[in-house]
Amino acid sequence: MRPGFSPRGGGGGRGFRGGGGRGGFGDRGGFGDRGGFGDRGGRGGFRGGRGGGGGFRSPSGEGGFRGRGGGRGGRGGRGAGRGGFRGGRKVTVEPHRHEGVFICRGKEDALVTKNMVVGESVYGEKRMNVEEGETKIEYRAWNPFRSKLAAAILGGVDQIHIKPGAKVMYLGAASGTTVSHVSDIVGPEGLVYAVEFSHRSGRDLLNVAKKRTNIIPIIEDARHPHKYRMLVGMVDVIFADVAQPDQTRIVALNAHNFLKNGGHFVISIKANCIDSTAAPEAVFAAEVKKMSSENMKPQEQLTLEPYERDHAVVVGIYRPPPKQKK
Amino acid sequence: MLVLFETAAGYAIFKVLDEQKIQEVDSLWKEFETPEKANKIVKLKHFEKFQDTTEALAAATALVEGKIGKTLKKVLKKVVAKEAHEQLAITDAKLGGVIKDKLNLSCVHSPAVAELMRGIRTQMEGLITGLPPREISAMSLGLAHSLSRYKLKFSPDKVDTMIVQAISLLDDLDKELNNYIMRCREWYGWHFPELGKIITDNLAYCKSVRKLGDRTNVATSDLSELLPEEVEAEVKLAAEISMGTEVSEQDIGNIMHLCDQVIEITEYRSQLYDYLKNRMMAIAPNLTVMVGELVGARLISHAGSLLNLAKHPASTVQILGAEKALFRALKTRRDTPKYGLIYHASLVGQTTAKNKGKISRMLAAKAALAIRYDALAEDATAEMGVENRAKLEARLRHLEEKGIRRISGTGKATARADKYQHKSDVRVYDPSGDSTLPSGSKKRKFEELEAEEPEAQPAETKTKKPKKEAAAAEPEAVEEEVEEPPKKKKKKKEKKQEAEPVEEAEPMEEVAEETTEKKKKKKKKKVKEEEED
Repeated sequence: MRPGFSPRGGGGGRGFRGGGGRGGFGDRGGFGDRGGFGDRGGRGGFRGGRGGGGGFRSPSGEGGFRGRGGGRGGRGGRGAGRGGFRGGRKVTVEPHRHEGVFICRGKEDALVTKNMVVGESVYGEKRMNVEEGETKIEYRAWNPFRSKLAAAILGGVDQIHIKPGAKVMYLGAASGTTVSHVSDIVGPEGLVYAVEFSHRSGRDLLNVAKKRTNIIPIIEDARHPHKYRMLVGMVDVIFADVAQPDQTRIVALNAHNFLKNGGHFVISIKANCIDSTAAPEAVFAAEVKKMSSENMKPQEQLTLEPYERDHAVVVGIYRPPPKQKK
Repeated sequence: MLVLFETAAGYAIFKVLDEQKIQEVDSLWKEFETPEKANKIVKLKHFEKFQDTTEALAAATALVEGKIGKTLKKVLKKVVAKEAHEQLAITDAKLGGVIKDKLNLSCVHSPAVAELMRGIRTQMEGLITGLPPREISAMSLGLAHSLSRYKLKFSPDKVDTMIVQAISLLDDLDKELNNYIMRCREWYGWHFPELGKIITDNLAYCKSVRKLGDRTNVATSDLSELLPEEVEAEVKLAAEISMGTEVSEQDIGNIMHLCDQVIEITEYRSQLYDYLKNRMMAIAPNLTVMVGELVGARLISHAGSLLNLAKHPASTVQILGAEKALFRALKTRRDTPKYGLIYHASLVGQTTAKNKGKISRMLAAKAALAIRYDALAEDATAEMGVENRAKLEARLRHLEEKGIRRISGTGKATARADKYQHKSDVRVYDPSGDSTLPSGSKKRKFEELEAEEPEAQPAETKTKKPKKEAAAAEPEAVEEEVEEPPKKKKKKKEKKQEAEPVEEAEPMEEVAEETTEKKKKKKKKKVKEEEED
């Protein structure tokens, strides 16, 4: 094993309770057009079936985030699950180890980001207000069952490299749910290039980007980075959640064009999308190997249990600066 | 060498000052570490700023399609054509080809150029003078939004979307309609249970209920428009001796309202079906002829659009809609499904069970051709589909008749061909016994063993037992093993062993046993450890 690069996670022993089986492949809902980086729609099934469990568990809480089933991406559950942070209870927010991410402590603990557009929910998520002296700050809850980045953070990833002021390229932006949180993190000084191929999800993405000026929406195939070369400058981080068999190649192509030397990449790998017959560990190992051959040095790998099954997040550095000789 | 660099704010043309350094691909990035350094490599020669977003949008769409836009042409003529002897470095090789053809400028695209572009992009703000960075990001934001809006507005598969939505609605309507009718029968059944048995057709049932209302009205009302004579008579008879409960006027009113709904939805459904039929015939005539409009529309809806469907191979078209079964089969190494959505095509439906797989395969092959023809041909007529369907029908007849003809008992040759060994039964060749050379094979075997340990283990235990004695004969070796801490050092030891020439001189059988012995040693070691505890 290479020093400084260690697969982690899988044990689940981080105090989070896992939940429920996965929706599976069956009926993926008839609404999505599955143009671009498909398969994201299938995630809806997962969330519905969990009763109480998952998310953060506080001693008194009777269940973490509520499951939102049905529909495209589970928007259907709106209004049903009021409660949680509302109801006049006091909450306190404290900063997370990762800059720009916060933890909200209340009846139930939750991962939150500071809302850039005060008073607006992007996908029906909960908002909570905290008064600090005169100013009122609004935070938005970030559900690890809907966002792989949130799942990675809760899984204890060492570095996400997405921080205030960073320029991020987000491949596989889908409807812009996670993108909105990334845009919260990087803040007005940062920039998010959100690439999504599907026109249907692109529509939602565009609506999110309208309100957040640090998101640059790009409706284009991430396999052809030269098609959007006009819009994109150099970036610090590439986050990829494209669920395609050739996703490592896709990330490499974009990295060659837009990722600065010593910039980082965060790739979420779904084993089933790359090879449904091989063992997930073997798939992850093969992908990591592919990265190394593309001048992308993996530094960290962890599975997204219990939030996703057979998923891994790989964090690494692109064209690492040569080591100083002592 | 000149470099064309596209930004959201405009076209920049750089002149390369030091061509030598460009060729050093690996260390080129060092030259772009600071703006000062970068300015020594390339110099901005011209910057053609876009006047407004419209111009930028036109330029961006041309760039996406790999064409020369108006502005770009102007710039190239104005700036580059003067120095036609110089090469022009370009990011997109396709665009380079077009420029070469149209403007007769020599273009280069190489890894070095890609690296150069990276460098320029890194120091874009320092290199393009007279343009504040704020403006670039503002321009790219504006351009990105208008480009995306343009993309969504002129989405190429908007026609297919209509079909996708129509077929989905059709399915929804069918489901709802069935629910309503079941409810209606259940509800009215309390009042007049016999009617449900007598009138099986759903629409006729609802229409009758609508006309009758209360059961007592049967004698006075005329159902001849809705029902055949004998059924009408039966209804009249049943109404006189019905065992249903009495219901109030209000209840009947609500049931009638439900019936109205059912009738209305049924009408709408048939109208929608006609619409879908017409649309399918217009968009994919050949596919429609091959598999029917419903299956065709479902295929399109499953793939997302006709063009996406055209990109699928025939084998995928065959099992489209059976993904769950497919992946389950792949995972458990069983037989993959023979048909998906295509099962509902009339050609597959009229085949006997034995030949369904065959026909679905052939139909999928021809349908895939038809789909591509429909999606990509300039003027698609249904001719090709009709032709292929006739071929398939002939083939189907041939297949069906073959079984009947074989009565004479001359089917020996064909019977042999029927025997088909499926992939799940295929045995894998085991290469481990291939090499007879004692030296090289040893190391490899061990590595294999390490890699496949979890699978190899159960097999190994079987062979272990009879050789217990052999292991006991080598007590020193076992002890040696025990002394060393388990995993990591074992590898080291392995290396040491290889270095010793004595081992290599051992007879072949020994080598073959070597691996199993290793295992045993491990086991023994475990036992010893337990004893120590």
